[in-house]
Amino acid sequence: MPRIGLYLGITLILVVALFPFWWMVDTSLKQPVDIFGGVTLYPHHPTTSNYSRLFDVYHFGAYLENSLIIVAVSVAFSLTIGTLAAYALARFQLRFGLNQSALVVALLVRMIPGILLVIPLYITLARWGLLNTRLGLILIYTGLNTSFVIWMMQSFLAEIPRDIEEAAMVDGDSRLTALWRVVIPLAAPGLAATAIFCVITTYNDFLIALSLTSTTQAQTVPVGVSTLIGKIQIEYGPMAAAGVIGALPIVIFALVVQRHFVRGLTLGAVK
Amino acid sequence: MGGAAVTTELVVSPESPEPGEPPRGRKVRPGSGWGGRFVASPYLLLVPAAVALAGVSLYPLFYGVRASFTHYLYGRDFGTNGLTNYRNAWNDEFFRQAMETTAKYVICTVTIETLLGLGLALLVSREIRFSSPIRVGLILPMTIAPVVVGVMWRLIYDSGVGVTDPLFQLFGASPPDVLAHNTSAFIAVVVVDVWEWTPLIFLIVLAGLQSMPQEPLEAARVDGAGRVRLFMDHTLPMLMPVLLVAITLRTIDAIGTFDQIYVLTQGGPGTATRLISIYAYNTAFLFTQYGQAAAMLVMLLIMVMLLMVVAVRLMRRAAR
Repeated sequence: MPRIGLYLGITLILVVALFPFWWMVDTSLKQPVDIFGGVTLYPHHPTTSNYSRLFDVYHFGAYLENSLIIVAVSVAFSLTIGTLAAYALARFQLRFGLNQSALVVALLVRMIPGILLVIPLYITLARWGLLNTRLGLILIYTGLNTSFVIWMMQSFLAEIPRDIEEAAMVDGDSRLTALWRVVIPLAAPGLAATAIFCVITTYNDFLIALSLTSTTQAQTVPVGVSTLIGKIQIEYGPMAAAGVIGALPIVIFALVVQRHFVRGLTLGAVK
Repeated sequence: MGGAAVTTELVVSPESPEPGEPPRGRKVRPGSGWGGRFVASPYLLLVPAAVALAGVSLYPLFYGVRASFTHYLYGRDFGTNGLTNYRNAWNDEFFRQAMETTAKYVICTVTIETLLGLGLALLVSREIRFSSPIRVGLILPMTIAPVVVGVMWRLIYDSGVGVTDPLFQLFGASPPDVLAHNTSAFIAVVVVDVWEWTPLIFLIVLAGLQSMPQEPLEAARVDGAGRVRLFMDHTLPMLMPVLLVAITLRTIDAIGTFDQIYVLTQGGPGTATRLISIYAYNTAFLFTQYGQAAAMLVMLLIMVMLLMVVAVRLMRRAAR
């Protein structure tokens, strides 16, 4: 029966994809004794002590707070800046072939591996006294996200017919109020997807945050997770709990945008 | 290096048009000013974004190139030293080793991911009913932070807490303690990358397969073409543009892999999993050899730039 083979294949794929998630949740809910007590596929004596240790002993709340502020502010900035630029690119015939070249630049910036940027960024922030500050990370993430916003929003805005805003302008709107009152609401689904993508990449970033911060004053969640490993003895329970907390908001966001997900990851090559 | 040329254009142009001058191509109707008294141009809308982009890309890249010609001692700038950093990096045995490891890593991961993703998508494509739960299940590995991916797999690999040792014992083998030995550690980090990114290829191919027009396939089938023929002559050429984009983007990403490795092995044991990103990071931030690290990264940048140009070309073609 080829049919059964197919179902088995599908089940196997899903088990392989999802087992590590379950194993992490499982470990995070186990007593320390049970963590080392052999393979058990669910916590026999479930406990939340790993989570409370994470917050009480390892100050995980501070990392969460930093991440929340940095992500919120930088995403808001980059959405504003990027959408304005995307609008100009989508609606006007600009000189010097800017319409095309600006998009290519945005794409290139998006693709540069972080390791290539991080050393000069470190030296620069050090000079401006912005090392280990939330502001430093906010500025950098704003710039990096802007490239992605321009790239995505340009294609979303180009899909909206011009007539609509021109009608609004005949009715007395200026360009910017027409953009705000008419175009943005129409582009809202695309804007939301773009925003969520920015949230995911910013929240997940590790290398930049690791290199440019040094204390809980500015360290973000992924850096917080990694500090639990640097210790001589690894605390597996809290580490698993930290992983769960690090993954949870992203999993929720990802499920919201799952329809757009491949489009975002392939930078629009696959719709 | 087409990228550099267009970049300068973007930065220069916002200032070039005179304020108040209407953009050339598109007529701006009277009464459709930019709100209030001043009549600006769309170029102004580009200025903040241009500044932001230049600040995090152009400037650091420029500065990085400059740093690669600079002598740093204990993190302090002691003026230029010509090509010394490059010479040091080039003669550094560990740098070459890291480049080799990176090349090996990229080739292994991208090849396996492409073949596996393609194969699985072909297997499942017949059953469209399941594509939605599969998609949900499969996007999860690539959404979460690579650091968390690293944590997950440490919980699987580490002896005492993990699953791999008991699994091997179940089949009568000795517990391998995967992250402690050179070859197994390298395989282990490749497996993690494959787990994380095969879904991307899989989903791309699946989307391609499901949007493919069926008529030519049917026609060929009627003409008696076998399965392999159908795949080679029809399916694969249709998928190619998008698949190539995915492979190129994946290659660029894989070259910069850092997070999972940092969490899983920190490049060890020995130098078995020390990718160029890990080595450059250590050179800069552990040994404060900024100049030498920058020189390494400039060499890497040139390679990545070439790939990025290829990627942009391919994306343009795929969009057509």
